Amino acid sequence: MTETFLRTIGISKSFPGVQALNNVSIEFFPGEVLSIVGTNGAGKTTFMNVLGGIVQADKGEIYIEGKLVEINNPLDAEKYGIAFVHQETSLFPYMSIIDNMCISSFPNRIGFIDYKLAKERCESTLRRLGCNFNPRAKIQDLCPGDQQIVEIARALLGEHRLIIFDEPTSSLSIREKTRLFEVIKSLKKEGISIIFITHLLHEIFEVADRLIAFRNGEIAGGGIIENITYKDVISLMIGEKETDSFFGHRTLKVVGDPALEVESLSRRGVLDNINFTLHKGEVLGIWGLLGSGRTELARALVGLDPIDKGRIKINQNGTIKAIRHRDAKKWIGIITENRRKDGLLLPMSVKTNISLASLRKLISRVWPLIDTKLETELSKKLVNRLDIKITSLERQVATLSGGNQQKVILAKWLLRNPLIYIMDEPTRGLSVEARSEVDRIIGELVDSGAAILIISSDIDELMNVSGRYLVMRRGRIVAEFQAEASKSDLIAAAAGDSHKEVC
Amino acid sequence: MEMEIVRKKQHLDVRYFIVSRGFVIVLVLCFIVFSIIAKNFMTLKNMVRILHAEAPLLILVPGLAMVIMTGKIDISVGSIAFLSSGIGVLLLTHYNIPPYVVFPLIVVIGSILGALNGLLVVVLKITPFIATMGTMFIARGVALQLTNSMVLSIPKELQRLGYAKVGTIYIDIIIAAIVLLLVYFIHVRTPFGRHIMAIGNEANVAEQLGVKVPKITFLAFVLSGLFASLGGIFVLFQVGAVTPTMGQGYEFNAIALCIIGGISLFGGEGSILPGLLLGGITIGVIENGLTMIGASPYTYPFVKGGVIFIAMYADSIKRVLQKTKIAIPEEPFTTTVGLNHKKSSVRSNK
Repeated sequence: MTETFLRTIGISKSFPGVQALNNVSIEFFPGEVLSIVGTNGAGKTTFMNVLGGIVQADKGEIYIEGKLVEINNPLDAEKYGIAFVHQETSLFPYMSIIDNMCISSFPNRIGFIDYKLAKERCESTLRRLGCNFNPRAKIQDLCPGDQQIVEIARALLGEHRLIIFDEPTSSLSIREKTRLFEVIKSLKKEGISIIFITHLLHEIFEVADRLIAFRNGEIAGGGIIENITYKDVISLMIGEKETDSFFGHRTLKVVGDPALEVESLSRRGVLDNINFTLHKGEVLGIWGLLGSGRTELARALVGLDPIDKGRIKINQNGTIKAIRHRDAKKWIGIITENRRKDGLLLPMSVKTNISLASLRKLISRVWPLIDTKLETELSKKLVNRLDIKITSLERQVATLSGGNQQKVILAKWLLRNPLIYIMDEPTRGLSVEARSEVDRIIGELVDSGAAILIISSDIDELMNVSGRYLVMRRGRIVAEFQAEASKSDLIAAAAGDSHKEVC
Repeated sequence: MEMEIVRKKQHLDVRYFIVSRGFVIVLVLCFIVFSIIAKNFMTLKNMVRILHAEAPLLILVPGLAMVIMTGKIDISVGSIAFLSSGIGVLLLTHYNIPPYVVFPLIVVIGSILGALNGLLVVVLKITPFIATMGTMFIARGVALQLTNSMVLSIPKELQRLGYAKVGTIYIDIIIAAIVLLLVYFIHVRTPFGRHIMAIGNEANVAEQLGVKVPKITFLAFVLSGLFASLGGIFVLFQVGAVTPTMGQGYEFNAIALCIIGGISLFGGEGSILPGLLLGGITIGVIENGLTMIGASPYTYPFVKGGVIFIAMYADSIKRVLQKTKIAIPEEPFTTTVGLNHKKSSVRSNK
């Protein structure tokens, strides 16, 4: 075996409440494509960020060609020849392709940028990727696939020894993808080590030489790609025991009338012809990878994003009627992914936050003013019902724990009492205890006849609460499963294309 | 399929051109209207007069433009011009320090005040608007104290500089041209200029790619102070004195100039040339034209306000147009498993 280029020993990193990485030791060889897989939150991205100098490890050592190094910032990473193609495009939309590619390494002559040289370099790199963009074009004028190409081209510019591709193919066309794989193969021949992260598992078998799976911040296993099957990959990602376990312990309820009907909902390039029905007393789980369109679906349903086509029908007092898209907010309570940013008024009191969505209900009969007595009374009731641990209703929401904050959001919607709830990652970042409480509240809501659409990256949780699943991929609903589906069914359907190989 | 995308794009680009270069249309309209109504408007002499009137502002504004392009704001430029010029004139008249020492010193004072803004924003992390508002009040207060709220004249031979000409062109127009060209080259041809744009586009990404965000931001504020004081010197030459109201409202005139010139207050977009020059000419033409057609002087703020609204509206439409562009490619979605692919069929294969 050739000498390692980079070696990590015992890398650990924890964020408040989560052990993101635990004792990760990996060797990277020159001229090898190493694929790293894992479910969302398994620690892949954190590990890459450690290598790229974006976050610093709490513990552990990094050796480059046998020498101990410290990567404290992205500049250090660049210095050691590590390039990073980010999952979310990190480009400057109002600047030209040249500026975007050369921003950290402008060729200059007596302090001024040598644009001629920069242009030549960019052109030759782009040509290598099979593209003939005018390098003076602005990023905002390119379509997202082309933007991703620029992002990749930036990593190819300059003398890099290790290139990290974090989901580089998510918005590439098939032709561009093939081209990228060819480039990766030629980089390999030049002795560059490559880390390739993807959720689309069949891609691993196309380009990778070796595979390592992460699970809960640890290395779950891996090996040379020839010795691994598609099924192995999935069981490495989600754990051997659970591959075929069923989550049938929920008592399956008889679901009621349709509460929400969605007909051919489309948003150009984001959502494609979405059709489904959500019933009263049902928890419908939406499963999909990052970027599959699940959050976008939630936003479009509530009217936070515009739609191009489609109809939304909502059950209003027993009859199901189409509504104007902009009115959807009236009937749907939404719990967003980012509760601190979108869900709460952090500097304000618990009471204010709870009453926020139902101020109209609280208006006194005598004056057109808010009846503060009623507000306090109803808030108190909800605080007791949801068991929010606070000493006073006036407590600032910012000072509460994540679990209690989430319960405040739930209380807000319970006071408003909509028929339909959409919950995007309702338990993200919560402690185990808080999670089960939130799950309990979801159960209560369903029992009382509410219809709930739930999105979660945590497949265990999703399977814990849902009675039916829709799987999304690339803006489409690609599969529907009943409660008795297994984890690997869901994961395979979301990872796509090589579905048949699962079995 | 591809053809369709291309056509859609072109369609977008036409609208895009109108909103992004809208002020050119406004400017051309102004020219046409004024030259029809006022006979003396479209003369070389009047054109030179317009540029002469705008020259101090054009010298003052490039630094501020750099700050705006990082996505921040500096509203202290008028007060910085006042304080640095005030100190300069005091040294000149009360302490008899020669002009060739005083004028460079004025620029140094301006840069120091700019550096103060930079420290407040970068190190103390105060919101730029608030930080520079503080500087605006403090600098004006100090200047009023030092000058005793009096009009301090500069010597006759220096006053003459404000109206000195080379051929038919005033000197300050030439200086303004040099300053704009210099900053233009700094902006488009140096890594510093590109880094300013990168910060304005996406500060986090810039940081990730190794741009020294705090340092560059700080330098932008220093430049803003530097050019503010330089512009102040030319106000001084034209007026012939430091007056207690010097530089008052300059900050907003300068910001208006940037906006009309197509520099986005969101940062990361805009140009020194032709942007600032066109912005300056637009403001100058409106001001001059309204005077020439004998409009009441009070109509000017009203018209300027209207032009700013239009420019800002165009800026926000532009953002909306960009947002509605497609988010993932229009490639046909890859083959699907299909809705009917239920659990049962998967299991039977096992």
